[in-house]
Amino acid sequence: MDLAFSTQERAFRDEVREFIATQLPEDIRRKVQAGDHLVKDDYFRWHRILHERGWVAPGWPVELGGTDWTPVQRHIFYEEFAYGWAPRLLPFGLNMVAPVIIEFGNDAQRARYLPKIHSGEEFWCQGYSEPGAGSDLASLSTRAVLRQAQDDSGRDVYVVNGTKTWITAAQWADWIFVLARTDPAAKKQEGISFILVDMRSPGVTVRPIETIDGGKEINEVYLENVEVPVENRVGDEGAGWTYAKFLLEHERTGTAGIAGCRQQLETLHELLERESIDDRRLNEKIAQVEIELEALAFTELRTLAAESAGKRPGPESSILKIKGTEIQQAISELALDALGPYAERHLAPKYFNYRKTSIYAGSNEIQKNIIAKRILKV
Amino acid sequence: MDFTLTPEQLLIKDSVARYAAGEHAGTEKWPQFAELGWLAIGAPDELGGFGGPLETLILMEQFGRGLVVSPYLSQVVLAGTLLRAAKRDDLLGSLVEGEARYTVAYEEPHARYDPSLVATTAVRDGDSYVLRGTKVRVLDAATATTIIVSARTGDEVSLFALPAGAENLELVPYATEDGHDAGDVRLDGVRVDGSAMIGEFGEGLSLLGLALDHATAALCAEGLGLMALMLEATVQYTKQRQQFGVPISSFQALQHRMAEMFIEVELARSMAFLAAMTLDEQHDDPVARARGVSAAKVQIAKSGRFVGQSAIQLHGGIGMSEEYKVGHYFKRMTIVERLLGDADYHLGRYLASQATKAKTPANATVA
Repeated sequence: MDLAFSTQERAFRDEVREFIATQLPEDIRRKVQAGDHLVKDDYFRWHRILHERGWVAPGWPVELGGTDWTPVQRHIFYEEFAYGWAPRLLPFGLNMVAPVIIEFGNDAQRARYLPKIHSGEEFWCQGYSEPGAGSDLASLSTRAVLRQAQDDSGRDVYVVNGTKTWITAAQWADWIFVLARTDPAAKKQEGISFILVDMRSPGVTVRPIETIDGGKEINEVYLENVEVPVENRVGDEGAGWTYAKFLLEHERTGTAGIAGCRQQLETLHELLERESIDDRRLNEKIAQVEIELEALAFTELRTLAAESAGKRPGPESSILKIKGTEIQQAISELALDALGPYAERHLAPKYFNYRKTSIYAGSNEIQKNIIAKRILKV
Repeated sequence: MDFTLTPEQLLIKDSVARYAAGEHAGTEKWPQFAELGWLAIGAPDELGGFGGPLETLILMEQFGRGLVVSPYLSQVVLAGTLLRAAKRDDLLGSLVEGEARYTVAYEEPHARYDPSLVATTAVRDGDSYVLRGTKVRVLDAATATTIIVSARTGDEVSLFALPAGAENLELVPYATEDGHDAGDVRLDGVRVDGSAMIGEFGEGLSLLGLALDHATAALCAEGLGLMALMLEATVQYTKQRQQFGVPISSFQALQHRMAEMFIEVELARSMAFLAAMTLDEQHDDPVARARGVSAAKVQIAKSGRFVGQSAIQLHGGIGMSEEYKVGHYFKRMTIVERLLGDADYHLGRYLASQATKAKTPANATVA
């Protein structure tokens, strides 16, 4: 048993830290530190800087512009983002649709989409949830009907109709990947296809949804008789659910946000010091959260070590999702409790916003179902 | 990073697991422990010793899983660490051989887990010391041949090895709820030679601090084993138990409770390892040690209580029955939760260690 990081891993950490310290634009760093919302251009600029360095897509195969990092290196890389107040790039293109295209797409699709995701030229968003399909995603009702295009080209198109909701960054996106039902007669999980839709297509409308914290980061996307070329379907017709599950497994890794929590706690301690708050009961509550965070951090390292030894990320990542989001929420509560009434104006929005974490990416209740079924096998 | 066990560690795990799975209740197994080499874990090479905190963790986790009742914690981990730190290889040798049996008497009625609150006194009289005071819950006192006692020598605290049968030493042994035993010790003018001092004059609290950290980490590992088994037993039971015509494991209310138990067991596992690692790597830094070990004890106490109570609840009536095993695990867990300091005590100790250490560097990784 050797539980420490190796010399090479520590050197890698220094390299990443140095890079972020010198290359991340100061205005972006300040926004992240203050918890302000970023705009598209912030993400784009940071994307270009990482792209320049060859670090924009660590999870991709090397020949497509990825890195040959180990799981531990990837972990260190993203930890340093948190410590350096660097924003995580939006995952929808780089970490969600790209792995699906790489794994299940054809050569033409890989050539068409991957370079522009990699360069940051095209932004993506995720068309999964619907007003009537949340945790029960497979009950989605967006339809895609194959027929000839209305113009005289005679080519085959899917005509897509439906509403997708809770879509982060749809207002900036060039593309949306959509789960749509192509065979209404098939069983629930069958008959779903994975389709790439150009956001500029006629019939696509984006409406922002204001959240309880006053933010406008999510949207509803309406698809009305949108014609999509048949070659925009990834993989086989009716096999979309398999691809969707593949993508969700990718989404779940890295949701613990441990380094981010450490930063938030550090900020909380600084705040207490600045305001000369020294309350025993509060200190105990904070210490309890810190201890749980240590426990989770070590659990993540154990998962990483197993992954490095060749084990695929499995249902154990549900622990990281559940506990990580609970801790993130607990810290936002502690900050609110710590400063009392006069700080509510500044901290309450964040507390409200963080309620989303136990809902998105598979609600924590769904994660408990996963643990029960796939680990405990009940 | 590599969490796989070495071949030697696997060997310990297998031999302890085999023992723990067998019939081990009620009979005296100490010579067998010595023969298997378990009494030599953490001892110096010259005495045939091997391993350290990680090996202790492996053994104690299996003891927990098998609900092994044994004085290993007090007589090997607590007393052994203390003797080693005091460089008393002469005494440690007989411990490793299984001949002499030591326990440590440090708790006092008013002290609530805090080893520094010592009212017992050792007053110098010529070449000897005379000890007066009361020690409570001395673990496994009945089988000990020697009791190591903390006593105030002026402003400092020193340690003394007293023969269990010393004159003016009264031992009142009793069985504890978990089937272990302990004893209260009254010292009413026990006279020992100056050579009975363990460690240097005034070195008592630092030796005791180190030994208690090792024992606490070992106890965390035992707690982990108890919890892991209670979870397995609960999952198994709910799959078999039928109500409303179906196994009760098919109910989501129970599934979520078991998922939460699983999460707690995994967090506890992480902290048990963290405690062992802290002792391995930061052996000489009492503040870092206190921080790592106390954090672990807080987690194990919290997780253990939740897992234990949930195990009883999900078993229903049978969980309350003295005949069924899960109740016994729950009782031991309840003792483990409090032994060597409960969650409140260790949370306070964790906070105090934080106040003394410099602010966490932003890159603080696991120790």
